[in-house]
Amino acid sequence: MTPASAATPAANTPGWSRESMQARLGGSGGGGNKAEAATLRRARIGDAMLDWACRLSAALIALMLISLIAVLVHSAWPAIKQFGLGFLVNSEWRANEIERPLRDSAGKLILRDGEPAMETLAPAFGALPVIWGTAISSALALLIAVPISLSAAIFLVRVAPKLKIAGAASFLIEFLAAVPSLAFGIWALFVLAPFFQKYVGPFLHRILEPLPGLRWMFYESTTVAGRTIERPIPLTGRDLFTGSLILAIMILPIVTSVSRDVLRAVPRTQIEGTLALGATWWQSCVAMLRYGRSGLLGAIMLGLARAAGETMAVTMVIGNNNQISPSPFAPAQTMASVLANEFGEATEGLHRAALLYVALILLTMSLIFNVIARRLVVGKLASRNQ
Amino acid sequence: MNHRLVRTVASLAFGLSCGSAWAGLSVEAGEVRLSGAGATFPAPLYTRWVSEYEKGHPSVQIDYRSIGSGGGVKAIADKTVAFGATDAPLSEKEIAAMGGTDSVVQFPAALGAVVPAYNLPGVDKPLQFTGAILVDIYLGRISSWDDAQLQKLNPDVKLPKTPITPVFRTDGSGTTHVFTSYLGTQSPEFKGEVGVGKQVKWPLGQGGKGNEGVAAVIQQTAGALGYIEHNYAIANKISYGAVQNKAGKFVLATPESVSAAGDASSATLKGNVLRADVWNAPGDGAYPISAFTYIVLYKQLENIKTDAEASALLGYQRWTLGPGQKFAAEMHYAPLSEKVQAAALAALSSVTHQGKPIPVQP
Repeated sequence: MTPASAATPAANTPGWSRESMQARLGGSGGGGNKAEAATLRRARIGDAMLDWACRLSAALIALMLISLIAVLVHSAWPAIKQFGLGFLVNSEWRANEIERPLRDSAGKLILRDGEPAMETLAPAFGALPVIWGTAISSALALLIAVPISLSAAIFLVRVAPKLKIAGAASFLIEFLAAVPSLAFGIWALFVLAPFFQKYVGPFLHRILEPLPGLRWMFYESTTVAGRTIERPIPLTGRDLFTGSLILAIMILPIVTSVSRDVLRAVPRTQIEGTLALGATWWQSCVAMLRYGRSGLLGAIMLGLARAAGETMAVTMVIGNNNQISPSPFAPAQTMASVLANEFGEATEGLHRAALLYVALILLTMSLIFNVIARRLVVGKLASRNQ
Repeated sequence: MNHRLVRTVASLAFGLSCGSAWAGLSVEAGEVRLSGAGATFPAPLYTRWVSEYEKGHPSVQIDYRSIGSGGGVKAIADKTVAFGATDAPLSEKEIAAMGGTDSVVQFPAALGAVVPAYNLPGVDKPLQFTGAILVDIYLGRISSWDDAQLQKLNPDVKLPKTPITPVFRTDGSGTTHVFTSYLGTQSPEFKGEVGVGKQVKWPLGQGGKGNEGVAAVIQQTAGALGYIEHNYAIANKISYGAVQNKAGKFVLATPESVSAAGDASSATLKGNVLRADVWNAPGDGAYPISAFTYIVLYKQLENIKTDAEASALLGYQRWTLGPGQKFAAEMHYAPLSEKVQAAALAALSSVTHQGKPIPVQP
C-alpha cells in the first residue's frame, strides 16, 4: 500500500459524530458515579461551545462570499447602470476620449460655419474581447490538457499499481499543482515564448500557411480611417496559443488527480465484468471512462474554472491586446489579465467600474463552474461509499 | 510583472513600521518627518534627491512613495501627504477639488523623455524616425523594417526584412500620455482613430505592463518597437532612435536636448500653477517627445501642522530646484533650464504656512 491510498480507508471509519462520543462517555461507567457525571457535564458544555464555534466559522465563510459579491456589485454599479447586459457583447474597450472631425458616409469632412465639425467619442467599455480571450484560451487549454489528463488517470489507476509506482507518479503530478503560478509564468515568458518565437512559430507558419483556408491564422487586418490594411501577424511567441499552452500545463494536475479519484471509484466488478465478456484492455478502459463520465465531466469543469481565473502566468505570455482575432497566433487578453494589467492605474470612475464589472462576471462564471463540478464529482464519489 | 504585489507588501510594511514608530519610539526633538507620494516615473530621481538632501540636513526625514500619478493627486487632495507628484499636470477638475487655482501650487521638478526603443540584431547605429513613420508603424501601415520609407530615412543602415511588432503600455501611464500626445500632433488620423490619453486602444501589437513589461517584450522579440522612458532604455541597454523635431532636425534624447524642449516653453510659465506641454517643442536642439514631471503643494500648506515642517518642506523643494538639479542628468532625466527653474522658484515663493510667511532654512 502506498501512503496516498492508505489514507483513504481512514475516512470511512465511523466515530467522530456527537452521538457516538456520548454513547462512549455514557456507556463506559454505567452511571451513578459523581465524578463521571461531572465529566459528562463538562463534555456537554464543551460540545455546545465547539458546536457554536463551528457554526460561527461556517457562517463567517458564507458571509465573506456574500459580502464579496455585494461589494463587487456596488463598485461596479456605475458600469452596470451605463452598459447593462450590452457590456457582454460590446467589443470596444477604450479608456480615453477621442475628439475627431465628423465625416459623412462618403468619408468627406462635414463643415459647419467653414470649420470642420467635431465629434467627441466618450470612453467605451465592452467585455467581449476579454470574454472571447478567456473562452478561447480555456477551451484550447482543455483541448490540450484533457486527453493527457485522462490518459494519465487511467495509467495511475490501472497500470501504475502493477508497476508499484502509483504513489510516486501521483506525487509528481500533484506536485505540479503546488508550483506557484508566477513560477509557471516566468518559465513561460523566458523559456516557452522564445522557443515558440524561434522554432515552433516559424515551423507552423511554413507548413500551415500554404494549406488552403488557413490564411486567417497568419494575417491580421486593421481599419484606419475607413481603409483596411492587411499585414502578417508577427510570430512573437506571446499570443493566445502560448497562453493556452501554459494554462493547459497548469490545469493538468487538478484534472488528473480528480479524474484518478473518479476512476478509482469505478467498482472492480464493472471492470472484471467487461473483461469476462471478452473486452480488450482498451475496451474495458473505455467502459471505465463511460461509467465515470459525470465525475470526469466534473473534473473537466474544475479545470475550466481554474483556467478561466488564472492570472499571472497568462498575463505574462498572452500578449495583452484587447482585440478579437480569430488567429491563435495573435495577442489576446483574458478577463483576469485585463484586471492585472489595468486595475492599478485605473483611477477614472467608469474605467474602474467597468473593470469591476469584468471581475463580477468572472466571479459569477467561476462560481457556476465550481458548483456544477462539485455536484458532478461529489455525487459520483459519494455513491461509492454507499 | 508582480511589482504591484511587491509594492503593496512594501507599503504595508512601511505602514506597520510607521505605526510602530509613532506608537513606540518617539521622534527625537527637532526632527521633522515629511511624506510625499505619486508618480513612479521620476521616483528613482526623487529617492536620490531625498538621500542627498538628508545627508546635508540630518534633522529632516522624507519618505517618497511611488504609487502612481493618480494616487499622488488623490493623496494630496486628501491631505494625507505633504506633497504630491504627478506626470500629467492637474486637470481643471482636480484643481477645483483642491479649492481652486488660488489654493494650489504646481511646478515642474524635472523633465523626462520617451524614446522609440527597438530590438534589431545587427543594427548598432541609432535609427532615425519621423513622427509620421511612428504613426504608420503603430497604425499597421508599415509592417516590416525594410519598408522603403524607413530605409530612405536611414540610408547608412541595411535594414532587415523583419516584421515590426509594435509594443505598447497596457496600464494607464504618463508615458503613454506623452507618446500619444506627440503622435497626435503629427497625424490628425492618429488623433481621430487612436486618440490621446493615459491609456488608449491600440489597433494592433503587443502589450506590456509598466516600463519593465514593455522593455521585456522588446528585449525578447526581434523586430519589436516600443515606447519607454529614456532612463529605462539606458538602464536596460535597449537601443533607441533619434526623432525628427519640429525644426526638422533628428535629435536623440539627451539631458541637453530634453532640457532644451522644456526651455522653449519657459515664456508661458507664469503664476503659481505652472504647466506646459513640451512635446513637439520648437528649437533646433529640442527633443520632441519630452515632458515635465510636476510637484503639487497646497499654497497655504493647510495639510502641514507645524512651522518647522512647513519650513523643512519649502527648504527641500527649493533645494531640488537649485543644487538638486545636477543629479537629474546623472540619473538620465533632464534638468530644468535656468529660465524654467526661475519660474518654478517664483511659484514656490508664493507658498505660505496658513497665511504666515515661512522662514527660509539655512
